[in-house]
Amino acid sequence: MKQLAIIVSWAAAVFACLFLLAPLVVIAAASFSPTPVFDLPTGGASLRWYSRIGTLDGFWPALWLSVEIAVLSTLISLVVGTLAAIAITRGKLPGSEILAAALVSPLMMPGLVLGIGLLQYYRSVGFTASWSGLLLAHLVITLPYVARTMIAGLSRFDFTLIEAGLTLGCTWPQSIVRVMIPALAPSFLIASLFSFLASFDNYPVSIFLTDVRTKTLPIKMLQYIEEAPDPTIAALSTIILAGTVALLLIADRAVGLSRMAGTAE
Amino acid sequence: MTAPDAGLHLSISNVSKRFGATTVLEDIHLGMAKGELVTLLGPSGCGKTTLLRVVAGLTHPDTGRVELAGRDITRAPPYKRNVGVVFQSYALFPHLDVAGNVGFGLKLRGLPKADIASAVHRALSLVHLERYADRPIRALSGGQQQRVALARAIAVEPSVILFDEALSALDRKLREAMQSELRHLLTQIGATAIFVTHDQEEALTMSDRVAVMYKGRIDQLADPRTLYDQPATAFALSFVGQSLSLKGKVVSSDADGSVVETSAGPLRVPRRFLRGSSVIVATRPEHVTLTAGDNTLTGTVVGATFQGSRSLVEIDAAGTRLTAEMPGRCTLPERGETVIFSWPLSETLSFSGEEHA
Ligand SMILES: Nc1ncnc2c1ncn2[C@@H]1O[C@H](COP(=O)(O)OP(=O)(O)O)[C@@H](O)[C@H]1O
Ligand SMILES: [Mg+2]
Repeated sequence: MKQLAIIVSWAAAVFACLFLLAPLVVIAAASFSPTPVFDLPTGGASLRWYSRIGTLDGFWPALWLSVEIAVLSTLISLVVGTLAAIAITRGKLPGSEILAAALVSPLMMPGLVLGIGLLQYYRSVGFTASWSGLLLAHLVITLPYVARTMIAGLSRFDFTLIEAGLTLGCTWPQSIVRVMIPALAPSFLIASLFSFLASFDNYPVSIFLTDVRTKTLPIKMLQYIEEAPDPTIAALSTIILAGTVALLLIADRAVGLSRMAGTAE
Repeated sequence: MTAPDAGLHLSISNVSKRFGATTVLEDIHLGMAKGELVTLLGPSGCGKTTLLRVVAGLTHPDTGRVELAGRDITRAPPYKRNVGVVFQSYALFPHLDVAGNVGFGLKLRGLPKADIASAVHRALSLVHLERYADRPIRALSGGQQQRVALARAIAVEPSVILFDEALSALDRKLREAMQSELRHLLTQIGATAIFVTHDQEEALTMSDRVAVMYKGRIDQLADPRTLYDQPATAFALSFVGQSLSLKGKVVSSDADGSVVETSAGPLRVPRRFLRGSSVIVATRPEHVTLTAGDNTLTGTVVGATFQGSRSLVEIDAAGTRLTAEMPGRCTLPERGETVIFSWPLSETLSFSGEEHA
């Protein structure tokens, strides 16, 4: 009976993995198709679609915008989120749990709602600069990821490490830089990774806040598909996928995948 | 303010510390000679850690002075004191390997790489971990981590080393081995050391002197022998070693001492008390014999256990449980038997009953 349960569980796990990975495999395969049909390649492979990515109309500005917004919102979130996490875990504030919940709550909110809400809000306060509006919106998206990861990391962090640094000759700032930050490096890495990816591939929030000149890559990609559904988009998706996998592999080498997925201990 | 003693290496005088309404340290005085090991012994919450933190510079006292080698360091930050700490949680840096941890303080001082490497090797060989230099911290056992913490503290050659219950997380066997090793090591490097523990056996084994702490005060500061033979307070008596004690009221007092009426009978104590005052009369189990003597009582045997070199006899004397220690070879009384027992006046301890509520 117990064995049967284990077999069933394993089957479910394998099926879930296949189900999740299948679309990615299809996309990757289609990107090597020699024909302009969005189809699985049967007669040999080709890289012609990859060479066409750069020629897509408005591709480079969109890519740059997405990277720029993702990097900036990640950096700002790291600073703000870490400070907030310190206040929540160490400050002995009344209601720090409520504060923590509020900080993480955008994670649970549908992006669509967030996008519409921000659009309305920007309009009502007369805020029309689309680039800064987009950055601000992405901060709302990335801050919860950073805050959540850093709250978890800091609640496990032993603050006597900083005192140990002091007794060994560090000044306060030195102890932060040489002890606290490197000891928390795994948390910083995980937080940055999630934050960057959440911003980079965000569609539902960005769509409400872009104008003709500021379009992020995901929005541009949907537009390409509507205009000309050839495998160029599959090629681009495959590159993004490969980039993500590479990032995850690097992070895994640095901190371990199970800690990233939150399945350790 | 008491004048600091010139010959002292570390001198703590008048130190008090409050957190809000609670007084955690109250008028602490402690002077230590160079190379001396003093143990702070006391129950949890009595202020031992706080006192260590004051010496390390991690907590500032409200009043009083801390001097190291004649220099006032009361307000000096930790990094200007050269006081090493082995933290209760070890506080090893998880992002560095063993050598990285041990060499941390040296690297900070800007020593050349080769000097750091040889100092790290020396410190690690003192704690017998030279082969573990490039292991990550999480790959070490509790005992090994404890030794890395020790090596890290001694690598920078501090003039004072503080140990906060450094051995309490280890199992008994390892702890005993570490006690004598640590004692040996400290003699070797000649550092003045304060050792915090709530384990009285550890305190007696390790220290030159023991400071018994109770509710933020030092009840008694004495060498282990004196502490055991002449405890200054009822608390010091009960916290260090086995004892038997009875509470009573003074019925008469003269130049030689007083007579205290206890529930089990009258007892003589070699100390004068006011008539009518409440007094605790006590002795150590090994001074009790099953014969009549100076202070003789009658009781019923409730149990006797043979323990090899000695035997313990539990006696109920008018409702008070007392333990007497007999040589292992002697014939033990039966359970339920009525016995007379006594101890000499010279081994009779007495404390004012109002000292501690
Ligand atoms: N930072 C602090 N704030 C408030 N109270 C404290 C602080 N540090 C210690 N205390 C209190 O001081 C008392 C003594 O603590 P401590 O020195 O850690 O005792 P010990 O090490 O002997 O167990 C305890 O009652 C503790 O709650
Ligand atoms: Mg303590």
